[in-house]
Amino acid sequence: MLSRLAESFFWLSRNVERAETIARVLDVTYTRSMDLYAGGAWSQRSWRTAIAIATFANPDTVTLGESAPTEALERCVFDEDNGSSIVSCIATARGNAIGLRAELSTELWEHINELYLDVRSQDLESILEEGPSRMLRRVRDRCQAIAGVTAATLLHEDGWNFMQLGRFLERGALTTRMLATAESLEDPWPEWQRLLEMCCASFPFARVARHLQSPRDAAAFIVFRATFPRSLNFCANEIHAALHRLSESSARSYTDDAEKQAGRLCATFNFADADDLFAEGLQPFTRRTIGTFEGLVAAIQRVYFPRTPVAAALAV
Amino acid sequence: MLELVQRPDVGEVFDEFFDAAGPRPNYVPLARTLASVEPEMLVNGVRAINAALLRRGVTFTVYAEAAGTERIFPFDPIPRIFSHQEWRRIANGVEQRVRALNAFLNDVYHGARILREGRIPRELVYSSELFVREMIGVHVLNDVYIHVSGIDLIRDETGTPRVLEDNVRTPSGISYVLENRDVLKRTFPRLFDGYRIEPVDDYPLRLLRTLQESAPPGVHEPRVVVLTPGIYNSAYYEHAMLARTMGVPLAEGRDLIVVDNRVFLRTTRGLERVDVIYRRIDDDFLDPLYFKPNSALGVVGLMNAYRAGNVGLANAIGTGVADDKALYRFVPEMIRFYLREEPLLANVETFDCSHDVSRRHVVANLDRLVVKRTNGSGGYGMLIGPASTSQQRDEFARKIEAEPRSYIAQPVVELSSHPTLVGGLLRSRRVDLRPFALYGNRVDVPPAALTRVALREGSLVVNSSQGGGSKDTWVLAEEDGDA
Repeated sequence: MLSRLAESFFWLSRNVERAETIARVLDVTYTRSMDLYAGGAWSQRSWRTAIAIATFANPDTVTLGESAPTEALERCVFDEDNGSSIVSCIATARGNAIGLRAELSTELWEHINELYLDVRSQDLESILEEGPSRMLRRVRDRCQAIAGVTAATLLHEDGWNFMQLGRFLERGALTTRMLATAESLEDPWPEWQRLLEMCCASFPFARVARHLQSPRDAAAFIVFRATFPRSLNFCANEIHAALHRLSESSARSYTDDAEKQAGRLCATFNFADADDLFAEGLQPFTRRTIGTFEGLVAAIQRVYFPRTPVAAALAV
Repeated sequence: MLELVQRPDVGEVFDEFFDAAGPRPNYVPLARTLASVEPEMLVNGVRAINAALLRRGVTFTVYAEAAGTERIFPFDPIPRIFSHQEWRRIANGVEQRVRALNAFLNDVYHGARILREGRIPRELVYSSELFVREMIGVHVLNDVYIHVSGIDLIRDETGTPRVLEDNVRTPSGISYVLENRDVLKRTFPRLFDGYRIEPVDDYPLRLLRTLQESAPPGVHEPRVVVLTPGIYNSAYYEHAMLARTMGVPLAEGRDLIVVDNRVFLRTTRGLERVDVIYRRIDDDFLDPLYFKPNSALGVVGLMNAYRAGNVGLANAIGTGVADDKALYRFVPEMIRFYLREEPLLANVETFDCSHDVSRRHVVANLDRLVVKRTNGSGGYGMLIGPASTSQQRDEFARKIEAEPRSYIAQPVVELSSHPTLVGGLLRSRRVDLRPFALYGNRVDVPPAALTRVALREGSLVVNSSQGGGSKDTWVLAEEDGDA
C-alpha cells in the first residue's frame, strides 16, 4: 500500500473515532446537566470536564462563561480553529477520504460525505433550537455506521489494518483522558456513572458488576476488561494485533519499534490488575498511559509514513 | 402527461428526436413512455439524482470560482439515442481520425515528412506551444501516442456529424458516462422499456487492457497506475473512479520515485515497480527536470525513465500538438496523407488568424464567428460572436492582432437540438457528443459517449464549466439478423 494512503487511512479512522467520542461526551454531559446537575457548580465542573476531554486540555485551566452549554457546544462542535471540534474532525476525515476515493467502497465514502454535508449545514442556533442531542446522536450513529460499513465492505488488508490502528489508538487515548478527569475514587457515584456513560460502559459495567456501585470496580473495568471493546486493554491488544498483521510477523516478539512499544503496553494490561492500578495511583497511571499512546503514534509514523520520504524509501 | 415540444423554436436546426413527421424511429418507444409519465415524477427524480450526485461526490471544480467550490454536472433524464448503424458510422470516423492523428505525431517527432512535403506549414507546427522538442527522435512503445482520446462532434443543420475539436491530451468525461447510465437505470427504469442498448460498464476493463498493451515489451502482468494531480484537480473524481474500477493504485507525483531510470511506487512495504502510467497530469508538470522546474505534481526523472523505454506513459508526451486548434483544419489532409483514405467525418470551416487574409476576414466578421484560443480547452477564453458585446469584440480584435497564432475562428455552427427537461417541461436544447477512443494494439471506440447539453436557452456552449449538463447516451444494440 502507498505510504500516503496508509497515513490517510490512519487519520481517517482516528478522526471518525474522535468525532464519535466527542459527540458522546457532549451528549452525556448535556443530558445529565438537565436534571441533577442543572446549573451551579456541578454543572460547571461537568462542562469543564467535557471541554477538557474534547480539547485535550487540563480541566483546571478550562475557563467558562455564564452559559456553559452554549459555550461548550460552540467550542467543541463548531469551532474550526479547534482541530478536535466535531466539524474539524469530520472535515479532516473527509479530506483523507477524498484522497482515498479509489480505495473506499461507494457506501463508505457516501456515509462520510453525508455526515460532512450534514454537520456543515448546522450551526449553534439550529442545534439549540432542535435540542443538541439530535445532532450529537446523528454524528455518533453515523460514525458507528462508518465503522460498520468499513468492516463489511473494505478488504481486511493493509488499509483496514491502518484504520484499526487509528481507531484503537484514538479510542485508547481518549478513554485514558476521560479516566484522568475523575479526580479521585472519592468522587460521588453519579460522577462515575457519567464517566461510564461517556465511555459507553454504563450497561456493560452494570451487567458485570451486578449493581455494585464501586468507583474502584468501575475504573478497573474501564482499564482492564478484556472483552469490553473500549477498555484500554482491548485497545492495546487490537493495536498490537494490527501491527503484527501488517508486518506478518509473530506476535510473540517484535520487528520494529512500534511493535515493541505495543507489546509492552499490552503486557501492562494483560499482566496487571486493579491492585496494581491503585498502588500506582489513578493520576500517575493516566499520565503515564497517555505518554505511552503518544510514543506509539510517533513510532508508527517513523515506521510506516516517514517524514524524510526519499531517503527512507531508498533505504528499503 | 408531458407536453413534448414538437419542433425546436429556433430556425434551421437539426433535431435529434423529431423529424417533420414526428419522433424519429429510434425515439418512438421513448416518446410513447414519456407521454404516460407525470412531469412531477421526472422533476422529483432529477432533484433526487442531483442530490445523490452531490452526496456521492460526483463533482468537478470550477477554477474561476472561490477555491474548492464543488459542483455537480447537472443530469438530464431524457436520453439521447443512436441507432446501431448511425453509431457505427461515427465510431469508424473516430477510429480513422485517431489513427491519422497518431500517425501525424509519429511523423512530426521522427523526420516530419508531412512538413517536408509541404502539406502543413512548418511554422504552424514549430510555433505550437504544445510541440515538445524533447520528444524529437524518442521512440514510444508500439508507436502509439494517443492511448485515450475524446473527439468532440456536433451535428450541423443537415444532421451531418462534424468534428468540432480533437482532445488527445487528457480528455475527461467518461466518469459521467458511467454514472449517468447507472443513475438513469435506478431512477427511471421505465424509460428503458422497448429498448436493447449497448452497455457502457465494461469501459474500465477496456481501458485497463489498452494500458496493459502499452507496457514495455517482456513485462509479464504489467503494473498500471493512474497518476493524478491530486484532490484539487477538477477531474479528481474521475481519476479516482477509473483507478477504483480498474483496480489499480491512484498515485500522486509524490508517491512515485525514479531509481536507475525505473519508476517505483513508495509503499508501506518498500518500493514497487511501475510499468504503465495512465497520467492525468499535463506534459508541463510531468517532470520538473525537463519541464516546469517548480512543478510539485510531477516525478523527478520520469522523462529519463520514459526515454529509456522502462515505463509506458498514456498518453505519450507531446500529443498536444495534434489537437492544437491551428492544426485542426489539416486533419483531413493527415487522413489522406498517412492513411490514403477519404475522411469519414467532416471538419467545421476554420479560419487561421496567423494567415493575413483570414485574419482580416475574422476581425471584420467577429459578430458572426466563434473565436477560440488554439491551445485552449474546457470552454475557457472563447468569444461567441452573435452573443457578444461590442466591447468584448473589440477586446478580441486586439488580442488577435497581438497574437494571431493563438487564435482561430469558425462560423457559428447550429448544434443539433434535443428535448431536455427544463422547469418541468421538455424544451429544445443544444447538444454535442464526445465519443472516446482507446488505442492499445488497435483503436477501440467503446459505445460509451458523453452527450453534453447547453441548459441555457439558445446557448451553444455545452462545457461543464459554462453551465452545461449531460445526458445518458444510448447506442442501440445490433438487431437480430443484422450481424
